[in-house]
Amino acid sequence: MQASRARLFKEYKEVQREKVADLDIQLVCDDSNIFKWTALIKGPSETPYEGGVFQLAFSVPEQYPLQPPQVRFLTKIFHPNVHFKTGEICLDILKNAWSPAWTLQSVCRAIIALMAHPEPDSPLNCDSGNLLRSGDVRGFQSMAKMYTRLAAMPKKG
Amino acid sequence: MDQKEESSSILDPCPICLSPIIQESYLDQCFHKFCYSCILQWTKVVASKHSHREPFIKCPLCKTKSSSIIYGYDGSTFQQHLLYDNSENSIFFTKAHKYRLQCYYIELGNTVGNINVSRYWKSYKYLQQNQWLYNWLSREIQALIQEKDVDVIVHHILGVIDSWRRNERRDSRISHEIKQEGFKSMVADAAKPFLRGRTERFVKEVEMFLASGLNIEAYDKVYIKHLGWKIPEIVGHHDDDDDCNPVIPVLSFSDEELDETN
Repeated sequence: MQASRARLFKEYKEVQREKVADLDIQLVCDDSNIFKWTALIKGPSETPYEGGVFQLAFSVPEQYPLQPPQVRFLTKIFHPNVHFKTGEICLDILKNAWSPAWTLQSVCRAIIALMAHPEPDSPLNCDSGNLLRSGDVRGFQSMAKMYTRLAAMPKKG
Repeated sequence: MDQKEESSSILDPCPICLSPIIQESYLDQCFHKFCYSCILQWTKVVASKHSHREPFIKCPLCKTKSSSIIYGYDGSTFQQHLLYDNSENSIFFTKAHKYRLQCYYIELGNTVGNINVSRYWKSYKYLQQNQWLYNWLSREIQALIQEKDVDVIVHHILGVIDSWRRNERRDSRISHEIKQEGFKSMVADAAKPFLRGRTERFVKEVEMFLASGLNIEAYDKVYIKHLGWKIPEIVGHHDDDDDCNPVIPVLSFSDEELDETN
């Protein structure tokens, strides 16, 4: 418990120091609870998520970093490995392949990589997965783009 | 300059706690550095997730498989924490060893298959030498103490059995029950310093193997057939022992037993 607190504090300091280094990720710790974090990540370029800003919610367990943080999308996203309703993310490093050397920052990077490289064979969003699996890349992209525009971009006007 | 300083301070800390390393330790294959307690804790977490024993730990940084943690390096000597005991690092510990070790966690009952122990004694079969005993004992003791080199122990036990047999020849008026008891306590005495808590069962197993008159392969067949469905039950069975090796009950259990009779 103390260990997780100490480690999160280190990460917090690191985030403050590196703020400018990674413009695609903005990690913010909850004011009153170091086990709650949110992140804003930019949709990777040359993907249907480009131009969107997606909000992630982190819930860090007390056994962290021996146990992975729980992460979900708060922003709606159309992606095979993200649950459309809950925002739950299917990503190996958040489950079996977790390593204590990952940080919240690197998890964000992994999620950005997942956005750019969906795994349609382990879908949480079956509609999205099926579009890709059936080879309808255009169909997938236009759906994903539409939701990016609807949910992840600032409203005009 | 500034950047260099910064990057070295980022690279230096333990990748698990992100703090300066306390009790520097390394994984034996990739030599990535961690606090000893951090990496040890992580190995326990990994072990608790697997129902079967993994002979290695994947490095949290590079995923290279290591089988021990090296720590306490003072320039000339170091200490090594074997993650899953000797047995699993070496090739000698085969499936057969594993099965034999597992046998010790199953109640044997009175006999195995149709092996007739009392006939073995009544019909003086014990006067014949058993040519497979050496190999059988080697495997059995390797399995039990999880060491490869058990020759000394095997020779010791074999020697005791042989000299007992030579003496028996001359003295055949004593009832076979007494002989049986004498034999067993003598083997127990010889084995106890090495097998401790496992001794009694070991003696029973020795007797059973001798009484079967079978070679190892045939004996294993009979034995496995006798146990039948019981073996899978043992695999994956968990013992919540908060030991250094909480991996599978087999190991922590044996440590405990050994200590008990210390």
